[in-house]
Formats: sequence, C-alpha cells, structure tokens
Amino acid sequence: MTSRYEIGFIITPEVNEEEVKKIIESITATITKAKGVIENLDEWGRKKLAFPIRKNLEGYYVFVQAEVDGEVIATLERRLKQMEKVLRFITLRLDDKLKKSNKLTKRWAKIERIRKKTMDGRGEEREGEEFMESEEETDATEK
Amino acid sequence: MQPRSNTGDGKPPRKYYSARKKFCAFCKDKVTLIDYKNHKNLENFISETGRIFPARVSGTCPYHQKQLSKAIKRARQMALIRFTEEKKRLS
Repeated sequence: MTSRYEIGFIITPEVNEEEVKKIIESITATITKAKGVIENLDEWGRKKLAFPIRKNLEGYYVFVQAEVDGEVIATLERRLKQMEKVLRFITLRLDDKLKKSNKLTKRWAKIERIRKKTMDGRGEEREGEEFMESEEETDATEK
Repeated sequence: MQPRSNTGDGKPPRKYYSARKKFCAFCKDKVTLIDYKNHKNLENFISETGRIFPARVSGTCPYHQKQLSKAIKRARQMALIRFTEEKKRLS
C-alpha cells in the first residue's frame, strides 16, 4: 500500500551546495528505488531559524512530497536520525488529511448552492425593506 | 428595547447593542487544509510570547482550531515559529 507522504528536513548552514545536493539525492534515490514517485521537491534554501538549534542560527530547508510505501518512510526516518548534518526532520502522511479537506470543500459547495437558491428569491425584497425603514427614521427625527 | 448607555456626544443613544460576532478566519477564506509551512499566517494566531490563542479569543471554529494547534506545534518543531519569547521589559 502506497500513500502520500511529506518529508521535511533542515540541513546545517555550514554545509556547502554540493553536499546539500548529495543529501537530497540520497533521500530521493531511496524513494525511487522502492518504486516511489516524487511529486514535489521544495527547496526553500537558507532561512533564519526561529530559535537556535545546536548553536546554528540558520538552516537549509528542504521539503519532499512523494507517494511511497510506509516501510520506506520508516527506514528514511532512521537514516535521517543518524545524519549529523540534518538538524531536524518531520514526516507526515497526507492521505487522510486530503480526504477530509475534499469532503469539506464538497460540503461547502453544497451549502453555497442552497444559499444562492434561497437568496435569489429574497434579495430584492430585503433591500426594499431596509430602504423603507431608514426613511421612517429620518421622518421621526425631523418632527 | 431600552438603550443601555448614552454615547455622550449629543447624539441620541443607539437602539440596539450587540457584540461584534467573531467568525472563523479559515472558514471565511475557505481553507480546508492548514499547512504548517505557511508560518506567516500561523503567526496571527499566537501571542507575542508565543502562546496559541484560545478559540474564544481568535474566533476559529472547533474544526479549524484543532488543525491550527497541530500545525503550530509542527511549525515549532521545524523552527518556523518560536516556542516562547520573554516579554520585553522597558528600561
């Protein structure tokens, strides 16, 4: 069973570009070897951290979205933990979240349709009523 | 209905009073999935000392508050948002 995962990690700022490429390649290679598909690779580059991690004030952010088997993710997590050049990492399964969000968008679309139907009939009447009310008020104050 | 207070600037007191109704900011924009990577948006929902605002303050609906709190915690883990910050004192 494959499902969508997101892997994010921060590499130390001391590392030069070639080594960053090596780390990213080693992770993408393990995914593709296990017949996984990489859908998106987000490189934010160097960014200031919100708080120092191991006395580093900056970090190189990389996010990978892929469709892989769950066991591959487990091995990746073990690998990332051992890497000294990776400050932090996070792995998420996106499947159930996407399902939920799709459900919600469908429900909202339905609500919108119903609201439009009911508002079409009432819209003009309501505007008229408000106008009448405001006129009455001004008359009262003048008297 | 009787007016509860006078505005004091010569105008007649307003007829009705009601607290401005809070609404969920995510429902308004129709956000269905709150992403922890979008830390600039998440920062609107934490105090200056880094605490998550309760739903009764921010007005987010239970569905989104649950997602939001998780997203903030994930963003903290990835050092996108601070955990805490001491209040700056004068002098």
